[in-house]
Amino acid sequence: MRRKQRTATAGVLLVAAMALTACATGGSDTADDGTRAITMGVTDPGTLTPGRQLVAYDFNMAVWAPLTFLESDGTLNYVQAESVESEDNITWTITLKDGWTFHDGTPVTAQSYVDSWNTVAYGPNAFENSGQVANIVGYTDLNPAEGEPTATEMSGLTVVDDSTFTVELIGPDSQFPLQVSQAQTAMYPMPESAFDDLDAYNTHPVGNGPFELQDDYVENEPLVVTAFEDYAGDEPTTDQITFVPYTDDTTAYTDVQAGNLDIASVPASRLPQADEEFGDAFYSFEAPGISYLGLPLWDERYQDVRVRQAISMAIDRETINDVIYGGAYTPATAFTPAIEPGTPEGICGELCEYDPEAAKALLDEAGGFEGSMEIYFPGGGGLDEFYNAIANNLRQNLGVDATAVPSADWAEFSDKRTASDIDGPFFSRWGALYPSQQATLRPFFVENGGCANCIPWYDESVKAAIDTADATDPGDGSAYADVQDLILEEFPAPPLFFETYSYVTSDAISDLATSPVGNPRLTHVELAD
Amino acid sequence: MIRFVGRRVLELAIVFVGVTFIIYVMVFTLPGDPIAALGRDRPLPEAVQAQLRAQYHLDEPVWLQYLRYVGGLFAGDLGTGFDGRPVGDRMAARWPVTITLALTAWAIEVVIGVLLGLVTGLRNGGLLDRTVLVGTILATSIPVFVLGVTAQLVFGLQLGWFPIAGTSAGWPSAYLLPAIVIALFGLASVTRLMRGSVVDTMRSDFVRTLTAKGMPRRNIVGVHVMRNSVAPVLTFLAIDLGYLLGGTVVIEAIFNLPGIGALLFDAIKTHEGPTVVGVATALILIFLATSVLVDLVNSLLDPRIRHE
Repeated sequence: MRRKQRTATAGVLLVAAMALTACATGGSDTADDGTRAITMGVTDPGTLTPGRQLVAYDFNMAVWAPLTFLESDGTLNYVQAESVESEDNITWTITLKDGWTFHDGTPVTAQSYVDSWNTVAYGPNAFENSGQVANIVGYTDLNPAEGEPTATEMSGLTVVDDSTFTVELIGPDSQFPLQVSQAQTAMYPMPESAFDDLDAYNTHPVGNGPFELQDDYVENEPLVVTAFEDYAGDEPTTDQITFVPYTDDTTAYTDVQAGNLDIASVPASRLPQADEEFGDAFYSFEAPGISYLGLPLWDERYQDVRVRQAISMAIDRETINDVIYGGAYTPATAFTPAIEPGTPEGICGELCEYDPEAAKALLDEAGGFEGSMEIYFPGGGGLDEFYNAIANNLRQNLGVDATAVPSADWAEFSDKRTASDIDGPFFSRWGALYPSQQATLRPFFVENGGCANCIPWYDESVKAAIDTADATDPGDGSAYADVQDLILEEFPAPPLFFETYSYVTSDAISDLATSPVGNPRLTHVELAD
Repeated sequence: MIRFVGRRVLELAIVFVGVTFIIYVMVFTLPGDPIAALGRDRPLPEAVQAQLRAQYHLDEPVWLQYLRYVGGLFAGDLGTGFDGRPVGDRMAARWPVTITLALTAWAIEVVIGVLLGLVTGLRNGGLLDRTVLVGTILATSIPVFVLGVTAQLVFGLQLGWFPIAGTSAGWPSAYLLPAIVIALFGLASVTRLMRGSVVDTMRSDFVRTLTAKGMPRRNIVGVHVMRNSVAPVLTFLAIDLGYLLGGTVVIEAIFNLPGIGALLFDAIKTHEGPTVVGVATALILIFLATSVLVDLVNSLLDPRIRHE
């Protein structure tokens, strides 16, 4: 009996010992040796290859150099490109700067770009971002909607010499130089070694940018990039960036508060308090994102334009912004984000201003609204308060029986929206990757433009107007004003907010710079002394 | 005994097949197309979606997908996630975190729970007993989410005693705070179970006899009472270990520990059938294994329990 008791005790001890030995590796601290190192909280990227990544923009912008870079003041700088020029906006000639190399020492050539873009376009590779090269002639041969590809190289790409190649587009497009700017990651070059083994490249990508990846990517492990010694562009202000994956962005935010992390994006739930908690270390960057309240135009109750206008005027954008987003957003006054050059701010006029009486009068004039209104949005993304507030507005100001209903998850929502299987207003937003009105108007208002049924109104005249503006814009976005006039007439959906992307920083950082794509500019982070 | 073990193993196999199939079908029938949702509000081009659907066999009927999956299992292949990474690798990378966390929490439950239960059981009705009683009620009634966030803010942010998130500080400091938080709930149950059990045992005839025989109290408690009171607690502890290995999703998210719970949560969100089934099956196997183990240990501890 006594012996058995001892075995029981030994069992407990054994388990405790197992717990002690099953521990993970110890932590590592840098920065004491004078290395200028920063850390940034991210979502675990999964894929790193520029043509494939979905949530690794910051990593990509650190490891690759774009052809062009749009600055905050609106000037377009040339980084890897010497020039991007065209006579007719159809055939573009890209000349590369000499002397640039990938991190593996091989030169960046015209062939690197052509091979990379062909790899992105080739259907069987199933590159997630292949849409970015879809306007190049020959794309559909490599990536047909149905059937097998008939070619492996796009006929629209021609290598002229080591540092020059031409790109033929399927139609005239004045915005092409912006389409090869910093956040269009599918346009980044890959070295020759990438094409032999794309999977290996995804684990350890090699770029042409200011930072190079140190070790292979391991899921949920921090990614360390260090300044690339032979980088031919501007030297970054830091020597090392560590991208630390977080499952919950609220935890990353708290970790910045505790000083364990230097940069984190601010989750929506923390926006109202971020200013108070961080003061100067809270940054809200103007971004090319815009949200609309999508309306089910397939439902006859929304056919009258006055109903749509009444809904817009019944929404108190100012208050919602202050209460739910801590004033970080800007109430929308046009159909594209204000940061996109040439956006006719204020074109929406009184239709985007809160006026409950006028809204009610307009709705009554249109014959009122029958039945209930269920506002449908993707659940689990922290959007509940936002759509509840809109439902309250509509209920109180229009007397409509409005409620906000979340989906189970994103997949369910996107299924229903794509299939037009929604009978109430719904979530609708788009974050453009380059600040041109084109990059917002196309996804919303052109069929197959990217955002299926975000605004289910595809009008031939609008498409034609966008095409004309693409062909003729002198570079300041002024040509797109006509498109916005057409949209205003029909007013298919109320624009809600121009978005900002918000970040907080630790004491180690004195200034966080950005660019018009809304992400922090990690090469220009200013460190505190 | 052999027949008993054999029967349990057979049950295990049936449960395994049934459960994997049910979970696979459930994930498959979740509303919404996972591939269409991959890019979230920036959907992938239609052709890319079609290519990915073919690549992951999502365009096939569910029974064929399931057979393919089970076939792969026998070849040691747990399938791949939607970003092309093998599920086996992903699970292998995450088990150490979850096991470390679960065992740390479990050890806290065992050591502190059994001790507290013993002490309060022996001094039942005293001040300590009452304090612990109130404490355990509190611990079981506060949601683990609230406890986790509060502990993180107080001990991590304000006092700075523990790291807030991640595993980079290593064991024990990175695991201690989350382990305490998840241990609290089980700890309360262990303490009260143990206490009740000790109180009962102390009142039993054999203890009175031993006392009458003049056996020192230390021996009575240390050997006889302990052994007789610990059986019900052991059952709970074993089941709780299974629960800890799978039920720490919330805490793993709050403390940014890349464990198996977080993987399961992500996989359910993205409808990754192979990952969900892989993780769920592993968890079920753990539950089944611990329950068999409990039965065996119980019969060793208490010869009156026979398995025919």
